[in-house]
Amino acid sequence: MDKDEKELMELKHEAVPGYRPVFNVVFLLAVVYLGLILWKTIR
Amino acid sequence: MMINTVPPVAIFIVGALLIPFLKGRLQSVFLLALPVIGFINLINIPEGSHWVVSFLDYNLVLGKVDRLSLVFGYIYHIIAFIALLFALHLKDNLQHMAAVIYAGAALGIVFAGDLITLFIFWEVMAIAATYLIWARKTKLSYGAGLRYLLVHLFGGLCLLAGIIIHAHTTGSTEFGFMGLNGLGSWLIFIGFGINCAWPGLHPWLTDAYPETTATGAVFMWTFTTKTAIYVLARGFPGTELLIWIGAIMTVFPIFFAVIENNLRRVLSYSLINQLGFMVCGIGIGTQLSLNGTVSHAFCHILYKALLVMSMGAVLHRTGKINCTDLGGLYKSMPLTALFCMVGAASISAFPLFNGFVSKSMVFEAAALGGFVIPWFLLLFASVGVLEHAGIKVPYYAFFAHDRGIRTKEAPTNMLLAMGIAAFLCVFIGVFPGPLYSILPYPVVFEPYSASHVVTTCQLLFFGALAYVLLTLAGVFPSEKRALNLDADWFYRKGANALAWFVLNPVTGLVTRINRAVFDLLPSFLIWFGKNPPAALKISADMVVYNLTSRDEDARRLEKERAIYPRDLLYPWSIGAAVSFVLVFLLLYLVLYYWRGT
Repeated sequence: MDKDEKELMELKHEAVPGYRPVFNVVFLLAVVYLGLILWKTIR
Repeated sequence: MMINTVPPVAIFIVGALLIPFLKGRLQSVFLLALPVIGFINLINIPEGSHWVVSFLDYNLVLGKVDRLSLVFGYIYHIIAFIALLFALHLKDNLQHMAAVIYAGAALGIVFAGDLITLFIFWEVMAIAATYLIWARKTKLSYGAGLRYLLVHLFGGLCLLAGIIIHAHTTGSTEFGFMGLNGLGSWLIFIGFGINCAWPGLHPWLTDAYPETTATGAVFMWTFTTKTAIYVLARGFPGTELLIWIGAIMTVFPIFFAVIENNLRRVLSYSLINQLGFMVCGIGIGTQLSLNGTVSHAFCHILYKALLVMSMGAVLHRTGKINCTDLGGLYKSMPLTALFCMVGAASISAFPLFNGFVSKSMVFEAAALGGFVIPWFLLLFASVGVLEHAGIKVPYYAFFAHDRGIRTKEAPTNMLLAMGIAAFLCVFIGVFPGPLYSILPYPVVFEPYSASHVVTTCQLLFFGALAYVLLTLAGVFPSEKRALNLDADWFYRKGANALAWFVLNPVTGLVTRINRAVFDLLPSFLIWFGKNPPAALKISADMVVYNLTSRDEDARRLEKERAIYPRDLLYPWSIGAAVSFVLVFLLLYLVLYYWRGT
């Protein structure tokens, strides 16, 4: 096996089961929260 | 006024010329002594304009010393000492010379009181930096160095053109506040902007910096861009356009840094991001924001040097710098890992680290000035800094995905250099007073108020939470062993398109013009010159034939061409010709008298 074959071509970040819904909920809350702050600030 | 000091630049330039004559331990001592002597020299120079030399009708000022130039002068000496200590194991006189000249030229710019002196050192700095890229002696570094040189020569030309127009318009080359009030100042502004890596003008930075030597990188990451910040702070404070340029600079590199595999390129994007905070501060133009810009430049030089040195140590020991190749190095290089984390905490602006005491001034100035959108962009960028420089760099180099690389800890000189930088990052973070006391304007700012600390902690902890969630949810983009193009797409791909255009349509057109001018036209003239009346006759007959298409005309034309340069018409004898002329004159006289009567 030559050197190139041993080298990792991509460093993937595999999802841990169960965390995707948590991320979606947190992301939604964050967007709503930041949107409210921005709207209140520039209103 | 006579003073017992010399221009700060002189110590470095003369010192660089002496380096080849020294060897071994003596050379090491000399290299470390240069910035120390320079620093002692600097603190003895009183404020004012010194070393004024007449040149043509202008005065060159080698020492314009005020509070703004002094801050940059101090930190340049400190970082020159640290960087030379970091490179002390190196047995390469040319690289040492280039590095010292580079630092000297940066000091020359900082203390330049006129635009001509500034321009001269501007170009010296570009050439010295190019050598530090080429010194890595790889194919990639050669290409990157060449592109770096071309971009900076172009920037230098903009600057020179601007200086000439400005001098012609105002009659002065003094370097002070200019503002955007004419073509000259715009060209100078753009020249500064190229060195400051403004959006779109930045690809030279992310292209060249990762290709420098492990030791030369510390100089590269420090001088060129911070000198650009200095000249913008002196020449264009309060220019509102800079607020937006700075805000964009803070945001766009984050996206590229997140997907970047090369950790030194991540730090390059991070550099642009940090410069954005400083540019924004210059644009706001208040005393608080300018203090914020200058103090952030001071702190940034220290923590960015620390991060670059830690990655340089990794590169030096392992020969690798990609996320895909590294991981688990804390087992072999624990001190380097520790210093890297100090740099990461500082750049992320954690309380008790120097980034916190400087960046919060720019934030405060943006908030007080009512710049809402830029303030939000800076806030977003602060989280981005944590993601890519605060977490990604130390995590992928020293912890995650252990690749099984086992090596030695960094050399002692490198550890000492990183240790000094780390100490200063923490010291300034805990005791910002000494830094605040040297800033250009009086400081009425308390970084460790409850609101500042709580706001920053909220930002950082939620940012860290976001990183963890992004990774666990599999949303965080993967790092690929590839070259990510951003604005350099235009000149990398554009250059190929230009090369095709030049080699195909343009070259074809030039060949045709060349053939017409140097081949067909002379051939025709030679042919025509053999018998002009017959040539004209053939041309006329060609026109007639094209109009009539008669066989008779075609045969005549064929015959004329066949016997050319002879003619179908036989020339008249001289006697017949004279007789014809006499008859013609006689007719003319008859007509003349007939009409006269």
